[in-house]
Order: sequence, then C-alpha cells, then structure tokens
Amino acid sequence: MKAMAKLSEGILDKFSMDFLRNQVLKNAYGNDDTVIAGLDPRVLLAWYLFFGLVPWFVNDLPFLLGCFLLVSVTTVMARIAGLVLFLFFLGVFSQTGYLLIVTLIFGGDVSAVGPLLVLTLKVATVSLASITVFSGLDPDRLSNGLMWYGCPEKLSFSISYAYRVLPMLMEEFQNVLLSYRLRGNPPAHDHFRGKVRYLIYQVKIVIQAFYPLMLNTAKRSRTTVEALEIKGYRYAAVSKEVRKMKLASLRVTYDDFIFLALSFLWVAVTILVSNII
Amino acid sequence: MTTYQKQSTNQSQKLMVFVLSMALYGLASLFTELIPKFQIGIVELSVEYFFFIPLTLGMLFDPMSAALGAATGELVFSEIMLGQFGGLGELEKFITVTIGVYIAGRMVKDPKNRVMVGVAAMVGTAAQMLMGTVVDILKVQFAVEDFEAVAGLPESVFATEGFAFLNDVLFSGILFCLLPTLYLVPKLYGKIEPLLGMQPRTSSTFLGGISVKVAVGCVIAFACAIGAEMMAETGLALIDWEAEWAESGTAMAVGMVVAAAVAVAVLVIMKKRSEVNSRVA
Repeated sequence: MKAMAKLSEGILDKFSMDFLRNQVLKNAYGNDDTVIAGLDPRVLLAWYLFFGLVPWFVNDLPFLLGCFLLVSVTTVMARIAGLVLFLFFLGVFSQTGYLLIVTLIFGGDVSAVGPLLVLTLKVATVSLASITVFSGLDPDRLSNGLMWYGCPEKLSFSISYAYRVLPMLMEEFQNVLLSYRLRGNPPAHDHFRGKVRYLIYQVKIVIQAFYPLMLNTAKRSRTTVEALEIKGYRYAAVSKEVRKMKLASLRVTYDDFIFLALSFLWVAVTILVSNII
Repeated sequence: MTTYQKQSTNQSQKLMVFVLSMALYGLASLFTELIPKFQIGIVELSVEYFFFIPLTLGMLFDPMSAALGAATGELVFSEIMLGQFGGLGELEKFITVTIGVYIAGRMVKDPKNRVMVGVAAMVGTAAQMLMGTVVDILKVQFAVEDFEAVAGLPESVFATEGFAFLNDVLFSGILFCLLPTLYLVPKLYGKIEPLLGMQPRTSSTFLGGISVKVAVGCVIAFACAIGAEMMAETGLALIDWEAEWAESGTAMAVGMVVAAAVAVAVLVIMKKRSEVNSRVA
C-alpha cells in the first residue's frame, strides 16, 4: 500500500510543469548535433513527403514493414526526447489498438488482426517519419525549409514564435496557478466524495487561471505585433528580397544526397523482397 | 464620419488577435496532448478540454482571425513541436476547428447576452465534433482493406464513433465548453478589448450573423476536408495499377537496388574526394 502511494507520488513528481517544459525545450533545441539535424531541411521535407504519404496508399505488408524499420532507425538517429516517444506509443494504441479490442468484442475473430496490423503499421510509419523531421530539426531551420517550399510566411512565423514564447507562457501559467492555489481552500480529499469534489475544484482552478492569462497574453501579443510593425514585418513578409536573404543559409551537401540515396536503396530492397515473396 | 467602425477592420489588430489566439490555444492543446486520454470502458473520450479558449476569443474579437489563430496554434504547438504531425489528417482537423470557432463567433451579436453565448458555444462545439466524427468514420472505411469483409468491424466503428460523439457533446461539450465560455465571456467583455486597442463588440459594430455566404463557405471548406480522404481512395487505385505494371519483372526491382547501391557508393567516394581536396587546399 505504501509502495503504491510512493509510486503514484513519483509519477506525479515526474509530470510537474518543469518536467514538461524541459522535455519540450530539449525536444526543440537539445539535439542539434545529430546526423538528422545536420541535414538540409528542404531535403528532409521532401523525404517526409514520401514517407508521410506513400504508406497510406500501399497495402503491401513487406513494404510497410521495411518503411517502418527505416523510419525507426532515423528516429533513433534523431535522438528524440522520451516524452514524445511515450506519446507516440499512446497515440498509436489509441488510434488502432482499441479498435482491435472492440472488434473482438463485436464478434470478429483473429482474421481481423491482418487488416488492423496493416493500419497500425501505416499510422506508426507516418507518425515516426513526422517525429524524425519535425522534432529532429531545430525550429528555425524547419521554418526556413517550409518557407522555401512557399508555405505562407504566417506559418513559419508561428513556428519560430511558438518556440520562443512557449517557455514564458508555461511559466506564467504555472505562477497564476500557484497563486490561485495559495489563496484557495481545497476541499478535504481523504474519502471518495471528497476526491471527486477535489477533482472538480482543480478543473475549476485551471479554467479560472485562464482569465488572467488571457489578459496578460493580450497585452503581450499587442507588444509583439507593434514591435513587428516597427520592423516592417508586414512588408518584409511579402518582399522577395527579404525572403532571399533569409534563405541564403540553406545549402545541400553530399550528406543530404547520401541520406536520400540510402533511403532509396532500402525502399528498393523492400520492393524486391515483396516481389520475390 | 461615423464613430463606429466595423469591428477590427485593422490589419495589425487582426494579427494581434491571431497571435493571441494562437499562443493561448497552442499552450492549452499542448496540455491536452499530454493529459492521458480518459476512457470509459472501451470508449475513448477525445476531449478538446480547452476548446472554450478560441470560442471565447471568437465571440469577443474578429472570428476569422481567432479561428485561424487557434487552428494554427494547435498545429504548431502540439503537432509540429511534439513531432506528431500526421499529414492529411491535420488538414482536416485544421479546417474543422476553424469552422467550429468561426460559426460560434459569427453567431454572437452581443457578448452580454448569456443565452446567445451559450447557444453559440454549443453549436460551435457540436459542429466541430460532428465533422470530426464523419471524417473519422470515412478514414477507417478507406484505410482498412476489405472493410466490409471483416466481421464485426463496421458495426464496431459506427457504434464507437457514434457513442463517442454523443458523449463528447453532452459531457465534455457542457463541462468544458459551455460553462467556461459562459464564465469567461461576460468577465472579459470590455476588459480585454482595450488591451488590443479595440472597441468592445456591440450590436452596432457586429459583423452580421450567419448569412448564406458563410454557410456555403463552411460547406465548401468541409468538402475540402472530405476531399482529402476521397483523394486517398483514388490514390489507392493508382498505386495498385502501378504495382501491377512493376510486377512484370523482379528484374525491375533488382535494377532499382543496383542503381541505388551505385548511387550511394558514388556519393560516398565523391564526399571523401571533396574532403581530401579541401584539406589539401
């Protein structure tokens, strides 16, 4: 009993606001020395276009398995933070794992496993490819790559802005939440009804905390936009010259070609294997 | 000169609303992504716990900017930042969130009118969830091969999706969308607008209710979301046809492997050479 209490306390400790902030930041900026992070964002996006789309349309099991193995290797190479991988497993299970259980309950038999395995492989491949590209690259390079492909300036601005403002926002939210807790009087929660009331109390506090947060963020977004206007943001966003200057740092090297060629080689091998079988 | 302008016609104010909505809903959807999903029995509650944030902002400010901001925020903060970007699926979510918030925002004429705020919040939420459910069902139907042939699968999909929808609207729609919106909108009204340098929305600065144009626009946008799924189906036939053509010879595949291997070897040699050259130079 005591061990259980200690375990749940340990899990709660791990999921503190600081832990989340660290994981997100580590995911964004912590691994810019990996092989994946060194590649050109345009090449990686093109690579993602293949592994993000093609698996949806193919139902060939060896091919899907091959793609899955390849993106697993790249995910390991990109050294993704643990929290993201945990969420990935949770996501894959919640998308298809529960369907399998429900199918069995509604009178399906083992024959249902085949199509569902294909579906799971598809989902897993596509999300691992996106984890590789979007978590493996650092946000500035990613937004530059997106811009090169002609994505709206607003999107690449949002990405750069999000990574910078998120730690601040999280800290502020935590402070507001803590001050609400300091002033509040939580209901006793040693029996079941108290626990339910305690949960409702917590949810209420989180919702109320958004009131000051909204006002503060409104002030901050006005400051941001005014600073952007002073720097001529809306003109720069559509100017071709500014775009050229921003994208001048992108360069395709031999490493990029080798990465593409190796991926192609692996895919060709899987096609060969599925043909022989 | 009229003293009243239509609300937020100013471009930079639109950008402010966009940034505000993006930052707040992005932060919130990051939490949603991190909170383990609740499950009642076998039914998963895909709750958008914080949908009240864009709803509130959409009712107080320019609905289109708030809606686009919220959808972008969710995309950037929770999908791209955590690396959970899922390609086509994200497009559909982006569109449904935008439509839901936009509809709710256009419905409210006077944010002080609590009944209207409540109705708009429920309609916006229900619209977003219904579209999500329809697309979900279509997705499973197209993605799983021999959908009808697998015993028990079609019924289970309809049953779980239908039940999850009703449950989401009644349970989380009221708890997490209706009540917080009713609490926040009157409280923020008149306080948050001056911070962005705007006038509060009144019935005279109101953009106008849901016209035929808005409805048609929403339907077209939703058709785009479904269109992505339809594309998947025709794409399936295309690839199958190509596969047949490629099957004519294992030689094809062997050729591809050899070509790829040669390409890798040549590139590695070229890289080594250039490194040596740069060292010499």
